[in-house]
Amino acid sequence: MSLNDWIRRTRIPEPAPVAREVAVFEPADLYDVDTRDDPEAAPILCCTGDGAGAAAFNALWLKRIAASGRYAAAVSVRGQGGTPAAPGGIEARAHDVVQAVTGIPRQAVLVGHGLGAGWAALAAARYPAAALVMVAPGKLPKQLPKPVGGPPVLLVVSEDDAQSKGVQAIAETFGVAPLTFAGDANDVFKGTNAEGLLDAILSWLDRKD
Amino acid sequence: MQEYSSQAAYDRGEAVCVIGAGAAGLIAVKNLRENGFEVDCYERDTVLGGLWNPQNQHSPLYPNTHLVTSRSQTEIPDYPMPDHWPDYPSAAQMLEYLNGYAKHFGLSEHIWYGSEISGIDPVEGSRFEVVVKPAAGNSARRLRYAAVIIATGHHWTPNLPSYPGQDLYRGTILHSSQLKDGSRLRGKHVLVIGGGNSGTDIACEAAVNAAGCVHSVRRGYWHLPKYLDGEPADYALARLSKRPKLFRKYLTKRLLKGSRNLSTRMGMDKPDHDHTDEEPVRNGRYLEHVGDGSIDRRGEVAKFEGNEVIFADGTEFRPDIVVLATGYKPGIKCCPPELLGVEGESSQPKLLARMFSPRTETLAVAGLVEPGVGALPIVHWQTHAISHWLQVRKEDPERAAAFKHQVVSESAQYEVNSTGISPRHQLAVDVEEYLASLGRIIDTLEQEPAK
Repeated sequence: MSLNDWIRRTRIPEPAPVAREVAVFEPADLYDVDTRDDPEAAPILCCTGDGAGAAAFNALWLKRIAASGRYAAAVSVRGQGGTPAAPGGIEARAHDVVQAVTGIPRQAVLVGHGLGAGWAALAAARYPAAALVMVAPGKLPKQLPKPVGGPPVLLVVSEDDAQSKGVQAIAETFGVAPLTFAGDANDVFKGTNAEGLLDAILSWLDRKD
Repeated sequence: MQEYSSQAAYDRGEAVCVIGAGAAGLIAVKNLRENGFEVDCYERDTVLGGLWNPQNQHSPLYPNTHLVTSRSQTEIPDYPMPDHWPDYPSAAQMLEYLNGYAKHFGLSEHIWYGSEISGIDPVEGSRFEVVVKPAAGNSARRLRYAAVIIATGHHWTPNLPSYPGQDLYRGTILHSSQLKDGSRLRGKHVLVIGGGNSGTDIACEAAVNAAGCVHSVRRGYWHLPKYLDGEPADYALARLSKRPKLFRKYLTKRLLKGSRNLSTRMGMDKPDHDHTDEEPVRNGRYLEHVGDGSIDRRGEVAKFEGNEVIFADGTEFRPDIVVLATGYKPGIKCCPPELLGVEGESSQPKLLARMFSPRTETLAVAGLVEPGVGALPIVHWQTHAISHWLQVRKEDPERAAAFKHQVVSESAQYEVNSTGISPRHQLAVDVEEYLASLGRIIDTLEQEPAK
């Protein structure tokens, strides 16, 4: 976020506050799985364009992230899951993600899926994320601002989308090569494909740490 | 000073020393860490949060301190406050916020508490030797750093006026920072001296609690309510800056007209400066308390006569307690004044772009400005610039030289010509111009090096 972006933002009305639903899973919450709690590892905050919001990550993601030793959280932005609808477009949703991530005790990784990838990318331009992960990004804003604090960026797309124009453009904006996974772009929340995908993200994060 | 031994200083290599773990120090540590610097932060007290922490033994907080600038204009740009907080958070919320910031970015492990810096000496070109004095014992340590950032703030040394006959006065005379507990005013006859934000807030506190409140003010101030036109006042005014200049002037005037007229009706002097020249008094309740008579406004105090206070206009008042809300003397004690460009008779530092030492490249001061808006964002952008500068300086001497020229030429631009008689107003900057200048400085530093 540049100084001018900040000035611009302080001179427009703030999005209406909503009571956001945040689902949290900590490594200590898992009794049945053999975990390695790593207090140094950055927490992870997930969001998705899927209408279920935070609940979408309950099936597999949160538990598996927590089992890898990280604090796992997911947020429902306005109008999703248990969060009431409120006016505001993509900026307001990015605001919701920023508000959720500053509520996490430590500097966190932002993971966005589908439309959520755009919100996460916008949020990373306001908040110095530990890393930015975009999974099968949906339609992103044309001009994506530069993330603050220079976090490492990971772009994960399904094999079918790897060559698409949109993905190429995002890869170019952030200067990264996309990581591909097998299967449908919307099939990331459960199943073997999803497990492989999530493990790939986690091992990428571990490498960066 | 004999107290430290002759043993060699411990060399911390490329690490940067930050002095003070208040809001400015914390932001400096976070931004330096983000740019890959090792940081040691020294705090003379045992807690973080600086002036916002009531446990800090020098804390200047008075009863019921709230922010005078609204949340959206005050929060750190990359770590917003919770959006369900009120528009004007309290001092306790501010402390919670700063604690959260320190915890979120893991800053505590870089802070050394109970360590006062008693000296900064330039050594081998641009490096510094810093003398760290622990709160207990006298075994000072010496360490060498590549750079030093002073973030000690300027609300620590009370500015205490003295009046003829004050010694014989038998009641209590307190500085606003010593008041701490509002119940001390209950049922008393209170005299509050000083028309700034703290004086006005304390007068309002006395208006509802004390038996009587006289407020002594020696000149006109701009009084802004906390809300204008249904919005936080600072936001409502800042928002107008998008407009063309003349139209903006007209709109600003229209927004301020109501409170201006009310001030006049309450018999206040017309301020001798523009509302942006110095921090206006931001308090919505004050004028109403003056209006309902619970605050009695008087002019300057001339002298004390026994237990009576005589004002310049000849009127008298017999207070039980006198609160001196006369502000603070800016001053940086830990650093040799010539490094900060203090020259001749004035005790004011003359810094380049209000943050860089004019004498050495690796010494900077964060937060020594009175921007008239929340200070945290200004400090954020200052330390953002400082850490980028230290990086550029290390990596690309050619760009660094060009940058120095720019900073010198920028510095001349936003000297506010304030006729203010109180020392703090010499720190005032025009926030629009200062931010624009900071923006240009940051742009220069962030440009890709020309190949």
